[in-house]
Amino acid sequence: LRHRILSFAALGRAPPEWVHDRSQVGLPAEMEGAASADQFVPAGLAALGIEADETDLAVMGAVHQLIWPPLLELLALDTEGVEVERRPDMSRAPE
Amino acid sequence: VSHPLDLGLAAQAAAIAAGEVDPGEILDAALARIDERNPALNAIVATFPERSREMLDAAAPGPLRGVPVVIKDEWPLPWRAQRFGAAELTVSTAPGESAPYRALRDAGAVIVGVGNMHELGAGSTGNTSYYGAARNPWDTERCPGGSSSGSAASVAARLVAGAVGADGLGSVRFPAAYCGLTGLKPTFGRSAMEGHHMAPITTMIVSGPLCADAADCRLLGSVLFGEELTEGDPTGLRIGVVRDTVSEDVTPAVAEACEGAIETLRAETGGELREVALPDLEAATLAGILIINAESMSGTRPEQLNRLDPELSPIARGTLKYRMLLPAAATVKAASVRALMRQRLAALFADVDVIAWPTIPAPAPPLEAPLVELPSGTLAADQANVRGAALANLTGIPSISLPVGLSDGLPVALQLQAAWGNDELLLDAAEALERANGRRWVESRPPLAEAEPTEV
Repeated sequence: LRHRILSFAALGRAPPEWVHDRSQVGLPAEMEGAASADQFVPAGLAALGIEADETDLAVMGAVHQLIWPPLLELLALDTEGVEVERRPDMSRAPE
Repeated sequence: VSHPLDLGLAAQAAAIAAGEVDPGEILDAALARIDERNPALNAIVATFPERSREMLDAAAPGPLRGVPVVIKDEWPLPWRAQRFGAAELTVSTAPGESAPYRALRDAGAVIVGVGNMHELGAGSTGNTSYYGAARNPWDTERCPGGSSSGSAASVAARLVAGAVGADGLGSVRFPAAYCGLTGLKPTFGRSAMEGHHMAPITTMIVSGPLCADAADCRLLGSVLFGEELTEGDPTGLRIGVVRDTVSEDVTPAVAEACEGAIETLRAETGGELREVALPDLEAATLAGILIINAESMSGTRPEQLNRLDPELSPIARGTLKYRMLLPAAATVKAASVRALMRQRLAALFADVDVIAWPTIPAPAPPLEAPLVELPSGTLAADQANVRGAALANLTGIPSISLPVGLSDGLPVALQLQAAWGNDELLLDAAEALERANGRRWVESRPPLAEAEPTEV
């Protein structure tokens, strides 16, 4: 698993310096990485057979940090009673 | 006498129709202006003078006969496949006749170039592209907005007077806002889409016009819609104002300009302001992201992601892989949120005609660091921008972005949203605002596009 995912390590060289520059992925410098990405992302990639190097993982960690907290909030949103449209016609108001 | 390219889209068409301007000379002038101004902008990523001249020679006697336009790198042309601003798409593409191409051709328009775009359509800034970043004509060190970056920059720089963009999560409205243009995100399904690689599956993306003002958007929009967007009377406009992050977590200059414009619009139309509640906008934003993600990744096989083109940006490579990991349960929940927001909007539009809030929370950020300083802190521009844009795509309603001021020399924009099918009302309201402010902002242009006397 580690060999497939961390190809920079496998190649015996460090990832490029800019990987650690968060402005490259549009994040403020003071934001910290999301710990859960370290477990969730490699496991998910391995399950799907998707390879990733350290650059990919750095980008995914940043994206995960942005999207995961609101995603958990979304999952916690109470939508019971909301009638989901079966085949919504997005060009019109709901019936 | 104005240089013909400094005229608007409708004025160019009228001048050609009246025989005052030779369309061949306009085409030559457009190509010359692209040669002159585009190196500083990277707005146009392909020109094809022979094809353009063939289009002109065969131009139909339509409403845009002989008028040069640009189309985003998101649809194929008969002589060129779209690249989507990327080294690689995970779907196959080929040259062909897309619906926007046919609509432009049948209107007599002449496509002079393909507009740059944010890589894979996945950004609001335009700072990342296979072709290199497009640049904002108002300040070439700043983002032009995305993903229809080149379409907007080419109109703002007066390379052409109209361009076709696409909007899946704000991609017409953001660049319109950053570049000081008027940009219409039509009601879902009303504008030409066929030929787009996502057309068969998307419930979010639409084509839309980017022009200097609402009248030109009406003209180009009519071409893309295949029907005339007739003028109406917005008298008595009921304007809904939402007090939420979208209107409050913005820079003071944006807040001031937008609040002033809303009041000006109310006064001009003899209308009224109504404060309205629209809860769960943050959930709606994420729902939009999840749905467009699910639609765009639905045909992607994991093994494709193991042999991505090395020229694809590192950000795109990482993001594409991450997008495969988003839980299906969240996408199903997003469908519930979509239904909820559609129901709420249907109820809300019984009480108001339009909803108004800023298109963007801050003016164009630097290309090198696309961050914005807001009352809540420093945010990535993408993260901040999408909050005000996703609702229209999620629910299908039309939306328009209008220039309403300048902040430190950079455009500021107001967004209006209306009920399904009321695209015309948005244009009517935009024209009312233009009348009220003396067309001050739609006639503002960046220094590099100052009007020049004609030699044509």
